[in-house]
Amino acid sequence: MSHKWGLVVDLDRCTGCEACVVACHSENNIPTAGEDQAARGRTIQWIRVERTWEGDFPNPKVRFQPVLCQQCDAAPCEPVCPTYASYHTEEGLNGQVYNRCIGTRFCANACPYTVRSFNFFNPKWEKPLNLQLNPDVSVRSVGIMEKCTFCVQRIKSAEIQAKAERRELKDGEFTTACAQSCASKALVFGDLNDPNSEVARMANSDRATKLLGDLGTKPNVTYLERGNWQDGTNS
Amino acid sequence: MERRNFLKISALTGVAATLDACHAPDKQLIRFVQEEYLVPGIATIKPGICTLCSAGCGLEVRVMQGDAEVVRNGQTGIIKMGLAKKLEGNPRSPVNKGKLCARGQAGLQVLYNPDRITHPIKRTGARGSGEFQEISWDDAIKEISSHLSTLQTSKSTNVLAFLARPLRGQRRELIEKFLKSFGAPHAVWYEPFDEAVLRQANLLSFGHAALPTLNLGQADYVISFGADFLGTWNSPVSQSIGYGVMRQGWAGRRAKFVQVESRMSQTGANADEWIACRPGTEGALALGIAHVILSEKLTPHATASRTGAQIAGWAAGLPEYAPQEVEKQTGVSATVITRLAHEIARSGSATAFIGGAPLAQTNGLFNALAVNALESLVDTNHETGPILSFTPDVPTNVAVKPDPSQSGLASLAALAKSTPQMLLLYDANPIYSAPAATKIREAIAKIPYIVSFGSFIDETSAQADLILPDNAPLEQWLDGEPESGSTQAFVSVAPPAVAPLHNTRPMTDVLLGLAHQLGGEVAKALLWTSFDAMLKAAFIPLRTHAGSINAKTDDEFWPAVQKDGGWVGASTGVSPAAQAHSGAAPSKTASDVKREPEFAGSASDFPFYFQPYVSPSLGDGSTANLPWMQELPDVLTTAMWSSWVEINQKTGTRLGIQQGDLVEIQSAQGSLRVPAVLSPGIAPDLVAMPTGQGHEDFGRFASERGANPLAILAPVTEESTGSLAWAATRVKITRVGGPEQAKLVLFSGGLSGFPHEEESR
Repeated sequence: MSHKWGLVVDLDRCTGCEACVVACHSENNIPTAGEDQAARGRTIQWIRVERTWEGDFPNPKVRFQPVLCQQCDAAPCEPVCPTYASYHTEEGLNGQVYNRCIGTRFCANACPYTVRSFNFFNPKWEKPLNLQLNPDVSVRSVGIMEKCTFCVQRIKSAEIQAKAERRELKDGEFTTACAQSCASKALVFGDLNDPNSEVARMANSDRATKLLGDLGTKPNVTYLERGNWQDGTNS
Repeated sequence: MERRNFLKISALTGVAATLDACHAPDKQLIRFVQEEYLVPGIATIKPGICTLCSAGCGLEVRVMQGDAEVVRNGQTGIIKMGLAKKLEGNPRSPVNKGKLCARGQAGLQVLYNPDRITHPIKRTGARGSGEFQEISWDDAIKEISSHLSTLQTSKSTNVLAFLARPLRGQRRELIEKFLKSFGAPHAVWYEPFDEAVLRQANLLSFGHAALPTLNLGQADYVISFGADFLGTWNSPVSQSIGYGVMRQGWAGRRAKFVQVESRMSQTGANADEWIACRPGTEGALALGIAHVILSEKLTPHATASRTGAQIAGWAAGLPEYAPQEVEKQTGVSATVITRLAHEIARSGSATAFIGGAPLAQTNGLFNALAVNALESLVDTNHETGPILSFTPDVPTNVAVKPDPSQSGLASLAALAKSTPQMLLLYDANPIYSAPAATKIREAIAKIPYIVSFGSFIDETSAQADLILPDNAPLEQWLDGEPESGSTQAFVSVAPPAVAPLHNTRPMTDVLLGLAHQLGGEVAKALLWTSFDAMLKAAFIPLRTHAGSINAKTDDEFWPAVQKDGGWVGASTGVSPAAQAHSGAAPSKTASDVKREPEFAGSASDFPFYFQPYVSPSLGDGSTANLPWMQELPDVLTTAMWSSWVEINQKTGTRLGIQQGDLVEIQSAQGSLRVPAVLSPGIAPDLVAMPTGQGHEDFGRFASERGANPLAILAPVTEESTGSLAWAATRVKITRVGGPEQAKLVLFSGGLSGFPHEEESR
């Protein structure tokens, strides 16, 4: 059975703690930009937590929403790439081949979720910070576009391990770095093709919705709406 | 001879020959025999203990072989060694159950921080000048032990002082044993956000001088008074796990969560109902809710026995706390108070708890006792068990409980007054984190000889005469006994996950070595030759108690504990909170505790309450030198690499302050300048500022960046504990410049006028 990787973000569980953000930096060798480059909007974040403020004191409301590459089935970033650096893998991921990328940034323009980051400069890890780098993930250089890969290195290593042991990959055997760190279980990763997987069950929830769903990008990330408490009744 | 040993020896001989022939000393190959067996490309998972806050989460460290540039015996070279690549939560820890927060993940950047002190150093310039020179371990130990020997012969008892960040477990035991046998006073355990007030209140209310463990997954209704329990307070990972369950863990059931605070925290942003309450009146609000429940007999348990007895007038139904009266004090409308009381009483399973700013008032103890009384009144579901309980004690004396009287600002003041001849400094930075008005900087400067075990130069260790750098937490034996976050007894231990990168030694082993050299009583009290032997001796007695490890012999038990990263006690079936609820009432009641908050600075000169709050990423400033933490956008404002002050939007308009403007905050004790962030989530008469920035001297990522709100606090304390009342200072604010002077970096929305040079690649 082929896999179709998906992620569910339960907005009712998300606390905005950003553990996912640091977990992703650590797992995927994402560089820090430093103050000056950060001020120019040149930080790289494969996952970010957005907040929306509504209302005024004394009744302000905040909603948190983690946003990452939606791994769209009809991805606007893919057809625009002149070098086929953005491409679709057999398991439904939006792949990014760093060696092909020439930095046109067309994909970033096309992405409605603004989840693609451009390397405006060569990353720098002051020694010995370089020792923290994950050897399973390549470091990207200046002029390269990058984004969330659904921790493809973890997917591949689990698949290879299962194949070596001549067995099927089980649900929950591995997960992405963001989902692994998430204490409130707002992020759940798994195989959407496995009807018994947690992610497949959650994606069928009646709270399920897609980010900018009307664009028809067919994301593999599903958001579950926040619950509400109104007039003493909970829904 | 074994094949492996033969290979090692022949390899070493080969290396020696190579070294001899080498002419470029900085590229020399030191050795290539590994200290441990690692397969290239294959990760090994090792247990660890997170030390980035006091929650004590268990770690799993992903270790892989790699090439590290190191200095050994004065030679630079590249060696293959195990390197820590990723930190995850330890699934066997009952506190964090495999999860880990943002700050915890950055533990890697403590280990591999470029500003770590890599070898012992001795001061050469004036104090605080930052001029040090390298000194060998032998010379350093000789110097410190000759100082100690001289002091030992002195007749005075106050000659040696030890100042450290609050610790639990065997490191604390080691330090206290050393001091006691030396004839020195107890160590001073200082951190600005200590929880002494809450421990004292819980001792009076529940009979436990500890932070509470919250089983939020079972709650139907949660009312939190100021506690940032999903971000920085108590055991955030454990509480976040419970929070997820209470939101969506049960079919058809979703808890209501009410947050009472005057500045919206990350936790408060998740609340179903957010209630702004005048600072320092949170206790009154809790009693207002209790009044309605008691007078309308909304619950069958109208006594709350011991906890209620702490509050004067409780037995009479709190006549002074009718909702209309409470509205006048708190600014929360009587209708809301009555409605909350009805909602809470109607819910199946409710809990009330307090943390953060309400405790950091001059009446912090009263606020805590009041919320504890409400908790006892409403947290009475016998099917689910209480939401609020206390982590059971470990059945042996493996862990040493902190004594609440040995912490806080008062003990720091006592240290300053005692003028010791020698100070040992371990992981505490009061020159940065105590208000400047305490004059701790001047007091420390007067101490003739200061030795620091710090891994970094910070404001306090910059004053040291000798620095003996500690190993990073992942490079040494550690133990911990989390105070809260687990409903089972839990004590953790972890061997080093990786070998030391630099020429450093664990403080624990250095102290044991010094004890041995000093001889006499000190050597008798500390017989162990290394800290792991001390840990083993402390853990072995646990084998005969029911718990997570079944081992027939001590030799089986000890490796098994290390492998799991700790020992978890079997559930006793007796809820500690249930014991507390039925405990006898103590003699002292809250009637003699101060009820009204007092603030430093008059309302006419200083119209705003000033609330520093613990930064989720930088903590109290001790993680400000980690680049991941500096670049993590604050989730409510998206600010990074910056300090800022949060001001209500309408207040900003009234004072002509716009987003990003430079603002001066002035208290009676001092002033600072930071950019303004206008927010709807803060009361109009309050300004709030995150802690963590404003370091003078803390490495390349933290130094000379932003401002430190702790510096301008008045040195007022909560009376009964001597704890710093960090939310009890009043300030005034003035606009002093535009965004171009302010330097506020935001992740979203960019920044106008931020000066930057054209870059070159």
